Amino acid sequence: MVSPSQIIERARSEGRRKLLEHEAFMLCELYNMPVASYGLATSEEEAVRIAERIGFPVVLKVVSPDISHKTDVGGVILNVKSPEEVVRSYRLILDNVRSRAPGSRVSGILVQKMASPDLEVIVGSVRDKVFGPVIMFGLGGVFVEVLKDVSFRVTPLTEQDVDDMIREIKGYKVLEGYRGFPPRDIEALKRVILGLAKMVSELDELEEVDLNPIFLYPLEKGALIVDARVILGEK
Amino acid sequence: MSSLKDLFNPSGIAVVGASKDPTKIGHLVLRNIVEYGFKGRVYPVNPTATEILGLKSYPAVSTISDKVDVIVVSVPNVKVLDVIDDAGKAGVKHAVVITSGFKEIGNVELENELVQRARKYGMRVLGPNIFGYVYTPVRLNATFGPRDVIPGNVAFITQSGALGIALMGSTIQEGIGISAIVSVGNKADIDDADLLEFFDEDPNTSVVLIYMEGVNNGRRFVEVASKISMRKPVIVIKSGRTEAGARAAASHTGSLAGNILIYETAFRQSGVLSVKSVEEAFDFVKTLSWNPVPTGDRVVVITNGGGAGVQASDTLADDGIFLEKPPQDFVEELRKVLPPFASLANPVDLTGMAPEDWYYMSVKLALQNPQIDAILVLYCHTALTSPIGVAKAVARAIEETKISKPISVAMIGGPDAYEAMRYLTTLRIPAYPTPERAAHALAALLKYRKGREYLVKRISKKQ
Repeated sequence: MVSPSQIIERARSEGRRKLLEHEAFMLCELYNMPVASYGLATSEEEAVRIAERIGFPVVLKVVSPDISHKTDVGGVILNVKSPEEVVRSYRLILDNVRSRAPGSRVSGILVQKMASPDLEVIVGSVRDKVFGPVIMFGLGGVFVEVLKDVSFRVTPLTEQDVDDMIREIKGYKVLEGYRGFPPRDIEALKRVILGLAKMVSELDELEEVDLNPIFLYPLEKGALIVDARVILGEK
Repeated sequence: MSSLKDLFNPSGIAVVGASKDPTKIGHLVLRNIVEYGFKGRVYPVNPTATEILGLKSYPAVSTISDKVDVIVVSVPNVKVLDVIDDAGKAGVKHAVVITSGFKEIGNVELENELVQRARKYGMRVLGPNIFGYVYTPVRLNATFGPRDVIPGNVAFITQSGALGIALMGSTIQEGIGISAIVSVGNKADIDDADLLEFFDEDPNTSVVLIYMEGVNNGRRFVEVASKISMRKPVIVIKSGRTEAGARAAASHTGSLAGNILIYETAFRQSGVLSVKSVEEAFDFVKTLSWNPVPTGDRVVVITNGGGAGVQASDTLADDGIFLEKPPQDFVEELRKVLPPFASLANPVDLTGMAPEDWYYMSVKLALQNPQIDAILVLYCHTALTSPIGVAKAVARAIEETKISKPISVAMIGGPDAYEAMRYLTTLRIPAYPTPERAAHALAALLKYRKGREYLVKRISKKQ
């Protein structure tokens, strides 16, 4: 497996400040954070092989340094259930990109295990020029975007900080379980937060990270990072 | 690098740019040093004068034969580097640079050169662009601010100049005792963290108040502030609270992480008490510097008015402190001395006709009861009683029992109540004009106690 510095160097050498999605996932895995199984395909055959290896259903996503909103250009197809569908989806994505984002470079198509949707949370980090890496946590979707129900901590984080920042958000009750919604695997969430804190503390070049969404499953069922965005600092 | 001990305890101090002209800063600083009664040696330095304010004047620091630990520099900015060279070669280890005209006006190069030049001689720089500093244990007032600072246990660090000088005056007006006042200005070298390290070790300081625009090294601030907060409360007024998160962000996280939000987060993680206003800061300083830190948060409220009691209870609740039933033995003792119509719940309502004696007895019993951690006394000025009488009754209870327990008093009413509040303040019993301020200030002390416990837990779980 590659090292974090190799991933960063590669992006730098190509003049990119944003890591490609599979690079961001690799980084997460290197810090023991749970990512839905994936592979990068550069041909239809390879896409099928990857899908068969990780098991159906899968998601296909375009990987391009020039496209930041993949869905807007038809670069994401969910719930792909068979080898034939993989081939069809692969072609469709390339067609979509060609017509809706002409001239975009395509590094490949990411084939990823379709994680079963569940409670969405967001964990992120930003490098503050005064305090260094700062970690954020919140519930995903409308909670973070509209209500801004998030908590922050400056690093280095202690376990106490992680406990506190999880409990601090107004929506904490949702994690504890209420009215038939089961309590969530908070231990798995803590591991993601600590993993990210370790990652941004060790890798000075990381400027901003969003792990969004992360599906947080019921007790002892873990968590899965579904999308990851990693931005490097200016050189 | 030398420690800051000699900055605050200099055996000899030279004022470079001392002047005979009473309108010059160099004159005002020298006069404050002399008139406030500095215990060490003082040397005016001026290229032409032979004597200033009755002291022999020297043409340069290097011509002073005795040891000089600190130079206070008030010469035009273009001459500062020469002064540093002269004093540096003479072995001076601390320069307090009052002179402005550095980074604050875009003169970054001159400021960098100042620091590098000083570093060459192993010299630490306070400033530039400051009004000086005070350390009362050695009767040192090297500022051009008010002279008669009240000695006490509060250290005040300020990044603002004009507001800082004004607040220096306010401490006198408010009866707040000072150990140190440090104007940090551009913080070219010595910063908040350096000073917090000194005040952590300083036996003359038990509370630190900071007026902060920003810090340069946030991580070091968090580390040092956490350490001192386990022993002494640190209160911060952070300016620019409404500054929007002006960060150009490529992520959700980045767009949500506003500047002040991160400061607030860092303060919380450091156990620092963050306040919004000067008034709140001074209110907190009084309860924190004049009271011991309690061991629990069981508060008893004693009042002569139901309304004041409710206002105080609500304020406490907003601060996370909920009143419980008073201890049974306290209630029984009270029942013996109070009339049957007094309400013996929490708040204890002595009713509007309560004479001084009822205050005296109930405060005394509350002080003596080990199940009570802190006392909030509220007094509404009524026609039947005298505010000063009640204030004296409270003071007498404390005086007679000799029990040191957190207390905060509200003296609500007109000029007489104000006088009673001032009277308590001179005895270092925190007193305020409203129930909310008295309650909120007492809550700060309880919040500090909780913060300290949190810090111990937090640090012990460090990765």
